[in-house]
Amino acid sequence: MILRADHVAGGFFVAIGLGVIALSHDLPRGQLSMPGAGFLPQIVAVLIVVLGASLFLRAHESPVFKSIAWDDGRHAAKIILITGAAIALYVRLGFVVTMVLMMAALLVVIERKAIPRAFLYAVCIVIGTSIVFAYLVRAPLPAGVLGYW
Amino acid sequence: MEDTLLSLAHGFGIAFQPGNLWYAFIGCLVGTLVGVLPGIGPLSGISILLPVTFGLNATQAVIMLAGIYYGSQYGGSTTSILMRIPGEASSVMTCIDGNAMAKRGRAGAALCIAAVGSFTAGTFGILMLTMIAPPLASIALKFGPPEYTALLVMGLIFLAYMSSSSLVRTLLMACLGLMLGMIGIDNMTGHFRYSFDLVELGDGIGIVPVAVGLFGLGEILSTPSHKVRGEVITPKFRELLPTRAEWRAAYWPIARGSVLGFIIGIIPGSAHIISSFLSYALERRISKNPEEFGKGAVAGVAGPESANNSASTGAFVPMLALGIPTGPITAVLIGALMIHGVPAGPQLVTDHRDLFWGFVASMYVGNLMLLALNLPLVGLFVSVLRIPYGYLYPLIIMFCIVGVYEVNHSIVDVWIMLIMGALGYALRKFEFDPAPLVLGLVIAPIFEQSLRQSLIMSNGNYLIFFSRPISAGLMAVCVLLLALSALSFILKRKDWRAKLAAAEAGEP
Repeated sequence: MILRADHVAGGFFVAIGLGVIALSHDLPRGQLSMPGAGFLPQIVAVLIVVLGASLFLRAHESPVFKSIAWDDGRHAAKIILITGAAIALYVRLGFVVTMVLMMAALLVVIERKAIPRAFLYAVCIVIGTSIVFAYLVRAPLPAGVLGYW
Repeated sequence: MEDTLLSLAHGFGIAFQPGNLWYAFIGCLVGTLVGVLPGIGPLSGISILLPVTFGLNATQAVIMLAGIYYGSQYGGSTTSILMRIPGEASSVMTCIDGNAMAKRGRAGAALCIAAVGSFTAGTFGILMLTMIAPPLASIALKFGPPEYTALLVMGLIFLAYMSSSSLVRTLLMACLGLMLGMIGIDNMTGHFRYSFDLVELGDGIGIVPVAVGLFGLGEILSTPSHKVRGEVITPKFRELLPTRAEWRAAYWPIARGSVLGFIIGIIPGSAHIISSFLSYALERRISKNPEEFGKGAVAGVAGPESANNSASTGAFVPMLALGIPTGPITAVLIGALMIHGVPAGPQLVTDHRDLFWGFVASMYVGNLMLLALNLPLVGLFVSVLRIPYGYLYPLIIMFCIVGVYEVNHSIVDVWIMLIMGALGYALRKFEFDPAPLVLGLVIAPIFEQSLRQSLIMSNGNYLIFFSRPISAGLMAVCVLLLALSALSFILKRKDWRAKLAAAEAGEP
């Protein structure tokens, strides 16, 4: 059998639906005259399984899985890693430090920009944004290690 | 009618207050920029800037956010015409003839026709909104839980039917959205559902992290900077005026696009995108010179640009009058109103008249502002296009993180955004449209509550949806749409949706 895109997508949705059904065992389904907290989630989970299975069964109409272009996958993975690291540090280090590091990392690692130029750009943008948020929008940003900033 | 005019006059009084005028202007300006810049659509623009509105009152907030929405429809044409890159999805069709006109030295005329068409269609849409929304809201006041359930089911099925991807794919996305929308405390029984002992998930998954992740971050993940070209055709100011022949060729396409766009805008689905495709197809079909399409036909710019603007206004009718989102953008706007403690729906028209009429009047003013902004300042927007994308997307990611965090000051929300970004990237690879997911997420609480209330009312009898006239009518429409979909599937026939999907993919 040739593995096609909809085999993977359909299988994924069937797994999601079955997972939700398994997680719903402790939720009361109630009765039709008094539906409980698990009533609609289980209907929707069954629908996801049925629709996922129909996608799987009609997969011959979809492109071959190998033909999907993943050439931007490396770019996406790097962004996810750098952004994930920034989110993990955001509250601890604060807005200014985290965002300067994240923007500089994106520019240096992915865009291959020179380190001084990347940091200069990141510092200017982040300081400008924090001033806008502090004085114009008046929305507090995480202060972190730099106190006020 | 007299009452409507008096209310509209009152609305203008509110819209002309300096604060409201200022936020309408900011919304239109940001919206134009959002439309101009490739990689940021109106949905991510609105979602990212949602926290900025927390310090404003509800009227100013909705005026600004709606300005971003309809402003982006104006701005999208600039990039399409000058760079052949759609600034946002609804401008895809403008690329074809708009850029061909630009290459023939008529860039200014194409921009002017797009702007005038957008203004005319936008104003027509607001006029219709002014006339239709209040009576529709008074009808909606008679709706009970069965009617709301039937209306929401019809919305989902309409969305699936109108979508250019398959019915199964759209329904899967909507179901996934419904599932995500049921995470958190059950409003009727107090049970915790799928929250994995995370207190932050008790309130459920917010629309902002999901929308920003799927559309903002997801778009960035699938757009490496080397794929974004930077060639811009710069029009001269004196070239902005179209010739008499070009005006003549634009009149009727603008009129047809305005009417078609508004009608499609009311129907659930990505109305502003579908309307521009249908308008282009219509203009090509009725044209005396269809061979000109693709080579710089004026109608190929005027029709789609008018249709997408009219559709974006039409989408406000069900949102304001019924509280039902027709797409992810109106869903985020409903979320914004709820954050400000204002329920969307018939009560908005009856109990929050200042907000409703102030908002409607601000759209008339906003359309004028956009016309004034888009033509003389085209040079400024062109210079924005020269910022390399490699410098732009780190900035957008920063705003995604800050925007999502500021809604609830919750880092869990930011993690959800990252997960949704990765999901959005994968969904694009497997040709799923993420828009129904956001719609499902937003309607999940209303849908679940109205469905359960209906069943309690009827003592568990599903026939309640078929025994009340309004809900029976709505259910009949659902059955008809499902039958139409099934028929084209059984006959293996290419219906208009399949042709639309083929046109979107650039196939003959």
